[in-house]
Amino acid sequence: MSKVLLAALPVPLRLLLAIALLLLVCFCALSTGAVPISISALFGLSPLDEMQSTVLWQLRFPRLLLALLAGAGLALCGALLQNASRNPLADPYLFGIVSGAALGATIATIVVPEWQLLTPLFAFFGALLAVFLVLVIGASSRWQRLESLLLCGVAVSFMLSAITTTLLYLSEPFAANRVMFWLMGSLSQASLTHVAFISPLVFITLLLGLLYRRQLDALVLSDESARSLGVNVQPLRLVILLLCAAVSAAIVAFCGGIAFVGLMIPHLVRSLFGLSSVALLLGSVWLGAVFLTGVDTLSRSLLPEQELPIGVVTSAIGSLFFLSMLFKYRRG
Amino acid sequence: MGHTPVVEFLQVQLHIDQQQILTELTFAIEQGQFVGLLGPNGAGKTSLLRLLQKEYHPSSGQIKFKNQPLGSFNQSELAAKVALVSQLSGPLFDLTVADVVLMGLIPHKALWQTNTEQDLLQLKQSLKLVGLADKERHSFAHLSGGEQQRVLLARAVMQKPLLLLLDEPTNHLDLYYQHQVLRIAKALSITVIASIHDLNLASRYCDRLLLLNKGQLVADGTAEQVLTQELLTEVFRIPCLIDQNPFGDCPRVSFGYKDDL
Repeated sequence: MSKVLLAALPVPLRLLLAIALLLLVCFCALSTGAVPISISALFGLSPLDEMQSTVLWQLRFPRLLLALLAGAGLALCGALLQNASRNPLADPYLFGIVSGAALGATIATIVVPEWQLLTPLFAFFGALLAVFLVLVIGASSRWQRLESLLLCGVAVSFMLSAITTTLLYLSEPFAANRVMFWLMGSLSQASLTHVAFISPLVFITLLLGLLYRRQLDALVLSDESARSLGVNVQPLRLVILLLCAAVSAAIVAFCGGIAFVGLMIPHLVRSLFGLSSVALLLGSVWLGAVFLTGVDTLSRSLLPEQELPIGVVTSAIGSLFFLSMLFKYRRG
Repeated sequence: MGHTPVVEFLQVQLHIDQQQILTELTFAIEQGQFVGLLGPNGAGKTSLLRLLQKEYHPSSGQIKFKNQPLGSFNQSELAAKVALVSQLSGPLFDLTVADVVLMGLIPHKALWQTNTEQDLLQLKQSLKLVGLADKERHSFAHLSGGEQQRVLLARAVMQKPLLLLLDEPTNHLDLYYQHQVLRIAKALSITVIASIHDLNLASRYCDRLLLLNKGQLVADGTAEQVLTQELLTEVFRIPCLIDQNPFGDCPRVSFGYKDDL
């Protein structure tokens, strides 16, 4: 129904609506919080005091950019991986990326606490290690088979989680708490350095996704069908997997575990805009950015003087979303 | 009909996991021929088609395409000349009919090229050719099996191939669509190699039949030459009778168990 309504709108109007919604969440994100900033101040129509200026430029602005990028990046990876693996449940975390990042963060926090400042770096390499393991184990079996690759992802994920849990069990409770909090996801440590690290990865992935739009569409039907159209199926799938691994690893390293965005947003985009790769990728980037920025603003303002971990909010919304889908299918 | 061979098999053998799949295949297919590949399950029909797509490579012998070794074409060059319509399992994610047909442009377009007016015109013409002019914006997954096969034929037309491979294109289709899909393929007037289970459909539409059994080419010729009682009874291990199809100038095959005869 929503798809029909949207399709009835002319394209320029749809674009205008999309931009308006994006701007709206951006303004909400910049103005909401313990130190309120009025919209007129954001537009420079009224002066900012020193506190407001510091909060705006040093805290909220980098945080807004990180939320936009992380949301866009996770949703983009979800869309790419779901199409490339023809699996509607594929998401950036399926290949052990979060378990790898968690193990990296745990090692940095617990095993060598003097390296705690390097947690994001450890998490990043932990995530890449997980994907590397998936590919190496997969290569020794018939990794061209999608099912084998997905099973390897699940196996590596559990293996790394087991190591992390053992380390947490043996560690002192305070350090374990720090890791647990990191795992719940947060954008509170956002800085422009993080943004500068993640943005090229997201843009390159989006650009490649758009360039290979026809090939991605062809993969949706079957490998055989794609190959008959001249698509180099396995190399394309490998490049997509590696790019998504790098993007998700960077996001998880700086923002912790933010679940369900990569899984949920592409589903929502498909039901709203249709399924050709261009609509899916651009729609996912837009909705992912809007969604995570909105959720971050919500998680900062739901409890007085306290922040809810963003991963908790995305998980709660995600589970409700999938339950609603289940009921929709049951009715339909 | 010309006499230039589009495809030549020269003593081609295929082994997969030490098992012999195809044995000493030698034949040439001329431009414009509609060739039916016949044979029981496991005879090697699909393997032969996969060889032509370079999904499998011959263990020995040579395959030539337009007088050049097939191996000298890369995947993309081959896709610009050879199109495939195979059996479909329902796609998981939904695409529009136009999305599917436009995939036929992949071998002809650089990554950064967008669709031109000419491409969109060709899309409409291809859909008109298969009788689906009004379904351009429809969901591919919600079409009937026959309509989906016709969309894939339109995609193959968009590919502008010299050779069209049909891998059991009429499976799961009702009688009307079985005939329709083959009629459309025939009307394209390009070289077609189709693996077909239904011998009467093959008899009705194919200029030439290749009968495979256990990986060997056991007969090669017109329907009258290939569809003989002795040969079919031996290959399909079930007694058969041949008479004239009252609707066309071609043989009709009827099978029955021993008790029926």
